[in-house]
Amino acid sequence: MKSNRRNFLIGTSAVAAASLTGCGYNKTLKIASTINSKGAVAKDSIYGDSLETEGKMFNSYEKDEDFSIRGSVCNGCTSNCGVRVKIDNRTEKVVKVTGNPYNPLSTDPWLPYETSLQKSFELLGKDSADNIKYRSTACARGNIVFDKINDPLRVLKPLKRVGKRGENKWEEIDIEQLLEEIVKGGNLFEEGDVEGLASIRNLEDPVNPNNPEMGPKANGLCVLGTGDDGRKAYMVHRFVKSFGTKNYMGHTSICGLSMRAGEAVYLNNFKKYPHLKPDFEHCEYLLTFGTAPAQAGNPFKRQAKLLAEARTERKLKCVTVSPMLTNADSIAVGDKSEWIPIKPGGDLAFAMGLLRVIIEENLFNKSYLALPSKEAQKAAKDASFSNASHLVIQDKVNNGKFLLQGKEPLVVDSKDGTLKLASKVNQAELFVDKTFKIGKTDVHVKSSMSILKEASLSETLDTYAQDSGISKEKIIATAREFVSHGRKSSIDCHGGTMHTTGFYTTYAIMMLGAMVGNLNYQGGMSAGGGRFKDFKGKRYNLLGYGGKVKVKGYRVDKTRTAYEKTTEFKTKKARGENPYPAKDTWYPFVNAIESDVLTNSSQAYPYKIKALLSWNANFIYGQSGTQHIEKVLKDPKDAVGLFIAIDPFINETSKYADYIIPDSVIYETWGVIAPWAGYQTKTNTIRFPTIAPKQAKFKNNEPICMDSFVIELGKRLNLPGFGKNAIKGNDGKKYAFDKPSDFYIRAFENIALDGKPVPDIDDKEITLAGLEPYVSTLKEICGKNWKKTAYVMARGGRFEAKEDGYKNGKLAHPYKGMVSIYNQILGTRRHAITAEKFSGVPKYYPSRFNDGKLLRDVYTIKEYPFDAFSYKSNVLNQSCASSPGILDIRYTTYIDLNPQTASEINVKDGEIVNVISADGKIKGMVRFRNGLYPGSIGIEHGLGRDGEGAVDVTINGKVTKGLVARKSGVNINKLGLLDKSRRLATLSDFVVGSNARQAIPVRVEKI
Amino acid sequence: MPENNSRRNFFKTSAIAVTAGATSANADSLKNPGREAGTFRYVGDKTKHYVMVVDLRKCVGCQACSAACKVENSAPKHQYRTFVSEFEIGSFPDVKKGFLPQLCNHCESPLCIPACPVDATFKRDDGIVVVDNTMCISCGYCVDACPYDRRFMNSDTKVADKCTLCAHRVDEGLLPACVETCVGGARVFGDINDKNSHVSKLLASLPQNVLKPYVGTNPQTFYISLDNRVEKIYDETPSINEVLRNELKSINQDQSKGVNNEK
Repeated sequence: MKSNRRNFLIGTSAVAAASLTGCGYNKTLKIASTINSKGAVAKDSIYGDSLETEGKMFNSYEKDEDFSIRGSVCNGCTSNCGVRVKIDNRTEKVVKVTGNPYNPLSTDPWLPYETSLQKSFELLGKDSADNIKYRSTACARGNIVFDKINDPLRVLKPLKRVGKRGENKWEEIDIEQLLEEIVKGGNLFEEGDVEGLASIRNLEDPVNPNNPEMGPKANGLCVLGTGDDGRKAYMVHRFVKSFGTKNYMGHTSICGLSMRAGEAVYLNNFKKYPHLKPDFEHCEYLLTFGTAPAQAGNPFKRQAKLLAEARTERKLKCVTVSPMLTNADSIAVGDKSEWIPIKPGGDLAFAMGLLRVIIEENLFNKSYLALPSKEAQKAAKDASFSNASHLVIQDKVNNGKFLLQGKEPLVVDSKDGTLKLASKVNQAELFVDKTFKIGKTDVHVKSSMSILKEASLSETLDTYAQDSGISKEKIIATAREFVSHGRKSSIDCHGGTMHTTGFYTTYAIMMLGAMVGNLNYQGGMSAGGGRFKDFKGKRYNLLGYGGKVKVKGYRVDKTRTAYEKTTEFKTKKARGENPYPAKDTWYPFVNAIESDVLTNSSQAYPYKIKALLSWNANFIYGQSGTQHIEKVLKDPKDAVGLFIAIDPFINETSKYADYIIPDSVIYETWGVIAPWAGYQTKTNTIRFPTIAPKQAKFKNNEPICMDSFVIELGKRLNLPGFGKNAIKGNDGKKYAFDKPSDFYIRAFENIALDGKPVPDIDDKEITLAGLEPYVSTLKEICGKNWKKTAYVMARGGRFEAKEDGYKNGKLAHPYKGMVSIYNQILGTRRHAITAEKFSGVPKYYPSRFNDGKLLRDVYTIKEYPFDAFSYKSNVLNQSCASSPGILDIRYTTYIDLNPQTASEINVKDGEIVNVISADGKIKGMVRFRNGLYPGSIGIEHGLGRDGEGAVDVTINGKVTKGLVARKSGVNINKLGLLDKSRRLATLSDFVVGSNARQAIPVRVEKI
Repeated sequence: MPENNSRRNFFKTSAIAVTAGATSANADSLKNPGREAGTFRYVGDKTKHYVMVVDLRKCVGCQACSAACKVENSAPKHQYRTFVSEFEIGSFPDVKKGFLPQLCNHCESPLCIPACPVDATFKRDDGIVVVDNTMCISCGYCVDACPYDRRFMNSDTKVADKCTLCAHRVDEGLLPACVETCVGGARVFGDINDKNSHVSKLLASLPQNVLKPYVGTNPQTFYISLDNRVEKIYDETPSINEVLRNELKSINQDQSKGVNNEK
């Protein structure tokens, strides 16, 4: 009992809440009891060890010579905010990061672009009347994650594995030797012959000899990237398409593919995969599912700032629908914030319930939905139009297709009830279920809106209430409130939809927007503000070059190809066999599924890949259920014979690589990036090395990073588009491509010249922006445009004026396409295994496997009474183990549990428990939270690491022990399920294949 | 400095308990040479009266301020000059989130200053309360005395440490790091002697609160929209001081009863 009391003092939350200095009073006692004990002497008697200021601001701003302030892009998360990096010139180290006041992701309103740099510092002085207006910020991550640059465990020299894959034993290898080995292949590991890249890069012979339609051998290289940090276009166009493989995947299938696909189907755009975000600034009612401004969201800071401002100074009410009470809520704003607790995975039921109420009670915007064409939209001065009134054929012939005349849809004119071309009708009939005589044929059609009505009415409100965990009364009240703000009601969703029915969930949520017609309205939904021309621009086409390959065949993730177009299907049909089920799922309108690559290759279906090049891709940590597929990666004879990782850290994924090539980290990198969405004006944020990268160098003195590596590899492989004359000027001139700067500086130049070219920089600004080291490179590459290019670099990019985001209450950069109430591509496709036709409108489907079995029939409530979900952290990210600063603020994560639920299973706050799913098990400490849906288990994502310093690593025989602190916390993905109805695959959305990492059936066991 | 050493030896050898005599910071005699000399960083700008206003309607608990302060002021591991407490108020389903950024309140009548036996801590003419780390003898009395627990013993320098409103930046015309980076726009810093400053305008137009007004310290950090339920949780959370007192009391009681102490 005594020791409990002492422990109470040190570890109790009461002490922590009171002091928040973490160490409690015992430290004071220790120090005070030996008054003579010497601590480190601070630099200054009053200022202590505080940083020296970057400048002084009295009558004017005077920059301190010892510091450089350069513009760059933070990648503490995927928002890619523009920041200012403070560098101590004496140590060449980054010491601090703040926001870039020209950049809309860090500031609102942001500075007029032509504001002088001098002024940009003066406006932020302590006595400036505008220092609140132009306050430019960084979040917790942004302020601190630069410390990753200095992680002692960073990979700075190329490595080759010694021992088996995954043993984490390495030797340093000269980069030229590494290139030789991966290009030539051979018995590289005394494990047998490994095919090298030169042999794989074959554009003639087929990758699958029995199926030449699957493309050339070159498809045997698969490149996995991650969220675009501004270098994706470089990798994809200059390397992947020079090598000639169809296989490039980003991280979407483990991040938010269910959302991306659901929004692509709503906008009927499977080429560009656009997505929408609310115009937070002017929104009056925001209904957000899962994702919540200030808790997560992209862009993180912009959403948080606009939420705070709009709910305080304007009319915004933010309603968050989530299993967890998020940081979007605040008691300080009273009724302006509401939390609707929901069962994990209950979002589809809730959204369908809302749609049902809106349709049944006729609360939808009729005159908007009745606009059948662009012409009608223009006549009505509206901002978009939909296919609500278009007619879908119900007969066997052409079932599911729109009724067309030529290429144009036919609709029923509400004026006279006759069939007319949509372009000739101002207001069409919304609800149609009729047979028309077209020529000599009877054609039975239903309007999209009728089909949607049927789908939403196909379940009762009671079912929707039961399956969402939200009462009928709440569903009705929310629906009625949602429609009462005109076009200024918005919706949002993202990673919370990453479960087995997430695609339809997103489609249903977006459909709520169609009901109020909010697309392209101020306060409504926006597809983003676009960007200035960068890679393909005024002076250069940086993405085109002679010999660039038109990649062919099938992608190894089975996306972009319909099963019905495959030889397998055609062969079966020709034999008179039922072509269904296919051997495995196919995804005709999905753009990328990283999470199926290894398992597909292991099954040699559609084919086996030979080499994997992963670039900052940590899918072993990020994918739910990888504990089951690590084995296929581990065995070089299984999924992939040659695994090359470009990664600055040895993590859960790169530890399986055969070779690791270092990469630059954060402010050492190049790039040009626009925000994902959630912004209304053209925005290009640029990055260039603000400090010398720390990695080893190539012979030409370029630090080894992704960008320089692919150039050298490309040259070794004699790939097109590298070296002399590889970069195309629009004037016909050609330039060498030997270094990353040859590409990126020219992208900056394109940006500077787009539309009305930017002004020339003046000498003073070159100094203020710390651009002296770049002057000679700029002059060499840009010639007479160097001062304009420098102007863009000095401001961290190019940013359209804030006022140019709106026009007459609508967005100045509208999404120009049609809204799909019914989507024909979706509605005419079948599931490759069950052969069921997909609903072409949002519809309620309970959680299920790919063979149609319901998740909760197989994993019953009795055995697995709870649903586990993960939430995005407002402080952590998924690669912060190497940031001691972030770990200091939030050093662990927990098994969050509602106290009611905990008492039912006799579990106490702080108790260590096991959480068990059918295919996985994790251990963690319980933390009570009242802000949690009962029966759900919440896990903050980002910790519980097995890499990036958490485990032992041996390099050149020297062991670096894993640090316990980096292991701390819980990784929900270890609970991940397999879809046992497939040959080998983790559980995924049944339509689009996104990794099902939410709403995992689990139970809790006391230890 | 010889004077300092003699002070430290004095406390090591004597058992004299120092009483907190002075009731007002300004009643201290200026035993600090820097202060006596009027060196700027010791005395600040006497025409200013700096305060912090925190508009809780805009705080989103992102911890950018905690992170920025840490970086700016080199606070050691696990120690913070400012931090944002997060609360969940209520029980399911009627739960709300509360955020409370906390920092030194730079009180008008602080309890830390009279507690210091060597006048190492004092209030500048512009209101900022600072610690002269060359004078501090690490006795810890000021840490004990602060009713807000906003002081701590810096584990690197081993002297008392606290928020200085980034005096090093303010003295050069710049904003404190936490204010500069506040994502939600909650933190506002300025001079209330200037009627046109942001802080003056906010305080003139909106009702405001301070923490623990009943202890009489007259804090100069003002909160807008401080819900009384957040205040209640804050007030009910014992300070280290009280926890320690109660703990020591019960340990002493057990000792006098002859119960064995465990290490």
